[in-house]
Amino acid sequence: MLRSHRRLASGLVSAAVLALGLSACGGDGGSGSDSTVTLTVDTFSTFGYEELFKQYEADHPGIKIKHRNVVQLDEYLPRLEQWIAAGSGAGDVVAIEEGILTKFMAHPDKFVNLLDYGAGSLQGNFLDWKWKQALTPDGKYLVGLGTDIGGLAMCYRTDLFKKAGLPTDRDKVGKLWPTWDDYIATGKKYAGAVKDSKFVDGSVNLYNTILAQAASQSVGYTFFDPSGKLVAGSNPAVKSAWDTTLKIQQAGLSAGLKSFEPSWGSGFKQAKFATIACPSWMLGVIKENAGAGAAGKWDVAAIPGGSGSRGGSFLAVPKQSKHAEQAAELAKYLTSVNSQIVAFKARNNLPSSPQALDDPAVKSFKNEYFSDAPVGEIYAAGAKAVKPLYLGADNNPVGQRFEDALLALEQGRLAPGAAWKKALADAEREAR
Amino acid sequence: MTISIGSRTGPRAAGPPGPPAPRRRARTVLARWDVKFSPYLFVSPYYLLFFLFGLFPMGYTVWVAMHDWELLGAHEFIGFENFRLVLADPQFWNSVRNTLAMFVIATVPQLLLALVLANALNQRMRARTLVRMGVLVPMITSIAAVAIVFSQLFSRDFGLVNWVLGWFGPEHLDWAARRWTSWLAISVMVDWRWTGYNALIYLAAMQSIPRDLYEAAAIDGASRARQFWTITLPMLRPTIIFTAIVSTIGGFQLFTEPLLFGNGDMAGGSLRQFQTVTMYMFENAFRRFDYGYASAVSWMLFMLILAGSLLNFAWLRRVGGGAK
Amino acid sequence: MMIVRTPGRPRRRRGGSVAALWDAGPLTRVTLLATIVLSLFPIYWMFVVATRTNDVVGATPPPLTPGGELGRNLSRLFGNEQAHFTLGLVNSAIAASTVTVSTLLFASLAGFAFAKLRFRGRGALLLVMLATMMVPVQMGIIPLYMLMAEIGWTGKLQAVIVPFLVTGFGVFMMRQYTMQAVPDELIESARIDGCSTFRIYWSVVLPVLRPAMAVLGLFTFMQTWNEFIWPLAVLNPDNPTVQYSLNLLNGAYYTDYSLMFTGTAVATLPLLAVFVLFGRQIISGIMDGALKA
Repeated sequence: MLRSHRRLASGLVSAAVLALGLSACGGDGGSGSDSTVTLTVDTFSTFGYEELFKQYEADHPGIKIKHRNVVQLDEYLPRLEQWIAAGSGAGDVVAIEEGILTKFMAHPDKFVNLLDYGAGSLQGNFLDWKWKQALTPDGKYLVGLGTDIGGLAMCYRTDLFKKAGLPTDRDKVGKLWPTWDDYIATGKKYAGAVKDSKFVDGSVNLYNTILAQAASQSVGYTFFDPSGKLVAGSNPAVKSAWDTTLKIQQAGLSAGLKSFEPSWGSGFKQAKFATIACPSWMLGVIKENAGAGAAGKWDVAAIPGGSGSRGGSFLAVPKQSKHAEQAAELAKYLTSVNSQIVAFKARNNLPSSPQALDDPAVKSFKNEYFSDAPVGEIYAAGAKAVKPLYLGADNNPVGQRFEDALLALEQGRLAPGAAWKKALADAEREAR
Repeated sequence: MTISIGSRTGPRAAGPPGPPAPRRRARTVLARWDVKFSPYLFVSPYYLLFFLFGLFPMGYTVWVAMHDWELLGAHEFIGFENFRLVLADPQFWNSVRNTLAMFVIATVPQLLLALVLANALNQRMRARTLVRMGVLVPMITSIAAVAIVFSQLFSRDFGLVNWVLGWFGPEHLDWAARRWTSWLAISVMVDWRWTGYNALIYLAAMQSIPRDLYEAAAIDGASRARQFWTITLPMLRPTIIFTAIVSTIGGFQLFTEPLLFGNGDMAGGSLRQFQTVTMYMFENAFRRFDYGYASAVSWMLFMLILAGSLLNFAWLRRVGGGAK
Repeated sequence: MMIVRTPGRPRRRRGGSVAALWDAGPLTRVTLLATIVLSLFPIYWMFVVATRTNDVVGATPPPLTPGGELGRNLSRLFGNEQAHFTLGLVNSAIAASTVTVSTLLFASLAGFAFAKLRFRGRGALLLVMLATMMVPVQMGIIPLYMLMAEIGWTGKLQAVIVPFLVTGFGVFMMRQYTMQAVPDELIESARIDGCSTFRIYWSVVLPVLRPAMAVLGLFTFMQTWNEFIWPLAVLNPDNPTVQYSLNLLNGAYYTDYSLMFTGTAVATLPLLAVFVLFGRQIISGIMDGALKA
């Protein structure tokens, strides 16, 4: 009997050991052996840092970099927020998208003050508004360093334009649509000539672009004013972007696809639409989705309605990092003028540094996939004129409710008036 | 289905034999301890785990639900305010409606089909085991795999289902856009995975029905259909109720299918047309980071399941008494 | 393969022979054939798309036969930097086998105790357990997540293992089966021979439980392997389980159906293999009433 009890006990113990022994798996990787320090970098989508990481490791023998990338922003943000709130799990350097920056700016103590690590001298390397976005109002606490900004352009398919009898040269195409009304007129011409594809991908991407543009050209904020109050119903920029999107939809120009969904991706492959509003970071997305079969068929022209910025990010070092000093050094390196140029060449992420924007390497850069379009020139041209955009802490969820309402409209499930009311009511709910 | 609890209906427990007289004393003591404490030792792992990872978190949910508990920010005690808000929340009731509707349109045809299928399987045929395996095989695929494959099959522009439907008329049906079509598509996923499993449970029950009952009925001149209605169905009633309860618990927790059908959108479509209660709970917890509110939603979900199961139990007591 | 005829094996067909009563008619055959085709088609389609390029999506008519792209798709799948597919497979294998072994052990121990041993509070404990089976799993996810965050287990594999080492369903199933399959006389005579309780469990009860354990084992393995929500909530993208990996493939910013379907096919294959190998026992386990509560 004793023997069998011992057997039971040893069974229990070994099960427990088995279970606990697994804690070795998936550890934080924060502490390497003796002198080597492993720095974890969390990013989303594409930052174009691969080359820079290799270079940095070569220059700093004691440093190893572990890169964790999550493709979808919607997947990345909640995790980042959980890590930051829980005080564990986050990387040593984390990418913060502008939509969530406001939320983190309310808790600067969750991040190290980069001014303590000598970042103050770098102010001149960044566009003034980009620098200030991640700085507390009293100017004493710097949460993040800017990576890129989202300059705007309009991408189009030359083969489909040709089929529709429209010009294909990017300068002439840009001249077709100084305003969004001109863009709609062009779209109608296109729809009259081409039946098996639509003019634009869908309302969701369009609305987000027009909103960023309209807001930065007027009041400088979208759903929330700088005091944090929900003003979706009274901000004329929100309404005018809505109306413009609606006009495009009602003209029958939209393919009704929602950005970043599988059907949107298939839409690229099957050439279901001829234009798509493309912030600089979108170029890489288009290339991946449309695939090699569409190489040389896309081109980039000026966006209707003038300059603006949509999207853009920062790098920060969470307080929880065990290697804050080394992490801050890495963040400084990755946001340096030279690194921003490298990232632009890799992934067309438009620099937030005026020096990088003026750099010949950026200005003369041509994108082979997009019919050798001089994307450096196109995006950098308006970049320095861009006015900053303030996004509220709940910008992302509120934006999603506007996207839902537009989608319901597009699906024929709601009338325009009802969709607008619904968007506003749901926005109230998200901001509660 | 016989759930017997306690020693009254249980089998006679094997008690300890009387200690044989010549054995040594130490051994006797150990034997007594063995008999006394072994049962507790044997059942303790379950209760230990349940206490740590089940009961404690659940109790904690009550505490959290009584707070304005945001991820980043203060935890302020607000009593039953969250529950009041949930009850007045149209988005919550929308998710309840969706859950109940999908539960009904998935479960009813599923159990009916399973009955038909079980009846078909309960006949003499070649390759019996192979046929049964063929019916059961959808169950081993993961929900994620099912959802990925079916979402592609049901996609608007490039789906196989729309391609087939195109022969008959409607073109490019946007399954996700409408309430009914999205419910239908999601129910098909659920049914594809579970119908065969339920059919085999019914089959097992059918095979334990005494054969003489059918023989006697046949002698009385009862047709096959009549035998099914007067013998098979009544004898299966407890099993049907059992599967109904299991489906209730499963159906009320529907989550992965609608989530992946909407490509990971926690809101379940542009008008929340297929957002279930569990999805709504998740949206509040892991998107809005309003843990307090999400906890209140989770308690409401529990109440719903409890109500559903109690209804089933009441039914079980009423109709199951005779059939046992 | 291991259908052991033990003395206590339940007689399943009271008052009847093993053979079914009726011959299958043509209607029955058509019904069954249609069911099997519908059951198998999505799985077949999964493998077809896995062997082709992404261009097949949207092609009319859709291809219904396998192509020659499987090798390329596999190397893209395992080379995908976002999905960590290999790690996902390893993690799921570790989690599913640990949970299965421990569930079989603990559930059969507890099931045996509930079915055949007499102890104070047995009825009450059993009632509590039955009540817990009514509690929806999802209900505890938020506090469980908070607990995991508190003890620093988020992102770690033990978070998807330890809370699930034994389930109420498993205990209950084993109790039901033990009650009907293990004759009391067997246990009593072992007692008289001086066997300890554990010894009785190990040498007398366990062998009889084999058919039910085959079913419970497969179900537990399957459930852990296929679990989606909890890993999604508690793990991180760089240390996923295989289902989480699939979701990462699904969530990539460009859609590659052939890649996703290759992923689902590879993730399904191990279970399919187990099912084909042990199908006969699983079916006979279910027919023996292993799943009937």
